[in-house]
Amino acid sequence: MIDWSWVSFVAGRVPQLWVRTGEHILLTGISTGLAICLALPLGILASRYGWLRGPVLGAAGILQTIPSLAMLAILLALMGKIGVLPAVTALTLYALLPIVRNTVTGLEGVSKEVMEAARGIGMTDRQQLWMVRMPLALPVIVAGIRTAAVVGVGIATLVAFIGAGGLGEFINRGLALSNTRLILLGAVPAGILALMVDFSLAAALWSLQPMRISEKRTFKARLRFPALALPLLLLVVGLLFSFTEPFAQSGETNAGKPDSVIIRVGSKNFSEQIILGEMMALMIEDDGKFVVERRLNLGGTMICHGALAQGEIDLYPEYTGTALTAIMKHKVMTDPDKAFRTVSRYYREKLGLEWLQPFGFNNTYAVTVRKADAKEHGWKKISDLADDASELRAGFTSEFSERPDGYPGLRKAYGFDFGDVTDLDPSIMYQAAAHNQVDVICAFATDGRIPAYNLQVLEDDRNFFPPYYAAPVVRTAILARYPELRAILERLGGLLDDPTMQRLNFQVDEENLLPLEVAHQFLQRQGLLKTDHK
Amino acid sequence: MIVLDKIAKSFDQGVTYAVQDLSLEVSKGETLVMIGSSGCGKTTTLKMINRLIEPTGGVISVDGRDVMEQDPVKLRRSVGYVFQGIGLFPHMTVSRNIEIVPKLLGWPADRRRARSEELLDLVGLPADRFAERLPDELSGGQQQRVGVCRALAADPDYLLMDEPFGALDPVTREVLQEELLDLKRRLGKTIIFVTHDIFEALTLADRIAVLHGGRLEQVGTKDELIGNPSGPVVRELFDKPARQLAAFSGAS
Repeated sequence: MIDWSWVSFVAGRVPQLWVRTGEHILLTGISTGLAICLALPLGILASRYGWLRGPVLGAAGILQTIPSLAMLAILLALMGKIGVLPAVTALTLYALLPIVRNTVTGLEGVSKEVMEAARGIGMTDRQQLWMVRMPLALPVIVAGIRTAAVVGVGIATLVAFIGAGGLGEFINRGLALSNTRLILLGAVPAGILALMVDFSLAAALWSLQPMRISEKRTFKARLRFPALALPLLLLVVGLLFSFTEPFAQSGETNAGKPDSVIIRVGSKNFSEQIILGEMMALMIEDDGKFVVERRLNLGGTMICHGALAQGEIDLYPEYTGTALTAIMKHKVMTDPDKAFRTVSRYYREKLGLEWLQPFGFNNTYAVTVRKADAKEHGWKKISDLADDASELRAGFTSEFSERPDGYPGLRKAYGFDFGDVTDLDPSIMYQAAAHNQVDVICAFATDGRIPAYNLQVLEDDRNFFPPYYAAPVVRTAILARYPELRAILERLGGLLDDPTMQRLNFQVDEENLLPLEVAHQFLQRQGLLKTDHK
Repeated sequence: MIVLDKIAKSFDQGVTYAVQDLSLEVSKGETLVMIGSSGCGKTTTLKMINRLIEPTGGVISVDGRDVMEQDPVKLRRSVGYVFQGIGLFPHMTVSRNIEIVPKLLGWPADRRRARSEELLDLVGLPADRFAERLPDELSGGQQQRVGVCRALAADPDYLLMDEPFGALDPVTREVLQEELLDLKRRLGKTIIFVTHDIFEALTLADRIAVLHGGRLEQVGTKDELIGNPSGPVVRELFDKPARQLAAFSGAS
């Protein structure tokens, strides 16, 4: 049987798809356009002055090799902004290399005989460039622009990490929630868009090529102007899509409260973070005084922290262990209270940011085994594994295998090695353990798959793993202005223990509920919401 | 009149000379053919006349004016040049190729169009069939006819031709040589023609300049060169046609 439920899945998301497609076209189009404006002069200069060639191509090449997330993080630090501006900047920088290189190659590839003729009949340098060299190099230059634009469509799916919109929103959300349909909802249109962009540029080039006498006065000849206008048409469609919402239901926007204070809530890009983000957002909305702008699903710690430090968002959930090691570059601390005190003091004094009361759970690494094995061998604590360790197969994420607070430290703290260690992706680690492919994994303590796959966490009896308690981190400035925010958010304090967070994560990861629904149901059951949002 | 006075060209700061101590006069309406084996400096000399290459020493004057004191762009527009590799612009139609110098000189479009049609008719390529073609839709001979048209477009007094027929098959070459003689009779241009083909030189030249190792070996009419060769280089050059002539008459 064919599963037709995807039809209603897509149909329900047409308004979003419409806007995201528009944004995606604009992101790609504008950045490619800017890159052309920069790369053409650079290419012309580099082909003209030989000494410029190395530096220009080298610089463009280096830009190309910067990983996308690193580029976004660097631009966030330099520009102090998240959203469209750094996104377009990053995409423009990535588009430079193919265009510059093809411009140089194209200009230098023009036949020497033709150029001597251009000089010999009395063209000035400028006339030689614009009347002969450029037109003859055009196919190669356009090939570079096509490469840049198609690659741009692909990279533009990543700028959703910094809240710049585009089809990447679906992909990121799908990745965060392990929802294949959402991933495809972004990836398939992006693929089609890449083909359309490539075709439109190829058509525009074709229309600019000199036409043979045999082709004149044919039907094809009449297609020349429309072909030239094709890339422009695509841009107009992008503009139209991103600024209209023909299918959107009314009443969904915040337009009804023009004078309200806007609080911008951020989160990182995985289920737990999005659920926490939605919870905080719902609590703030429920109070009635504020309007919440959700900037959830941002691409990781550096981007969230950067956005908060720059005042681009007002709060997001962070973990004590992450703040300690990744932000403060402090060494690992095992005492949870001491870690929390250290982190909050540093944030308050150095960063102007405030840690509120933690949610309650500790999402640290957890050495996890099958429940059945634990029962059979009587394993309760990690040190119980010592005798059997050399017989056990471990499956760890590559990060865990490397980090000092991962396997290397674990071996030292407990004094044993596992018989065999395999690198596994977090998404398949739990299944691998459940299906007897490995015996021990480094789970995340709040992952819903631990109970779902009948796995059991072993107690860290030597307190080796650093604590990763989650808490809202808020800008001190906004707390000073609206002190009631603290009270609102601290009603969530201590509310979520490890099993509760596991269950909520499971609802999103495995039962495919929306984080908003999960957060809403939970808060309602706790009696924390005054108004009914349905 | 074009006068070359003791010109020299070195590409390596005076270590070796591609052209040395070369003096020549080309008078109005005359066709002078420069001949010599490759590397003798004939193309270098031709290119120095419109400053595609600048001389290391000596003076070149066109109509009494030193070329080095003229704007090279203006100079080149006033002297027609037919290139060895033809060098038509592949992205322009035949008529746009021909009209390019008039366009650079700012002629109005209808005058340019009339001129290119006139020239196409002159070289036997009817404008209605050929004007809108691209160069790669023409045969080699047709392309070089267009090359000649382009050089003549702005009606220059002087025509510099650098082995223009070298790449063509012998039959087409002969046809084009005949056409060039015809053009010359009708238009009265002053032509400097570079070739390494002695038969071409004999067919086209009023006077022949023989170059060897960057120096002028001898200049004169063919009768003067054959009757009174300055040395072995010139004598050998004319041996070949003489031998072939002898072989031809012996066979008949």
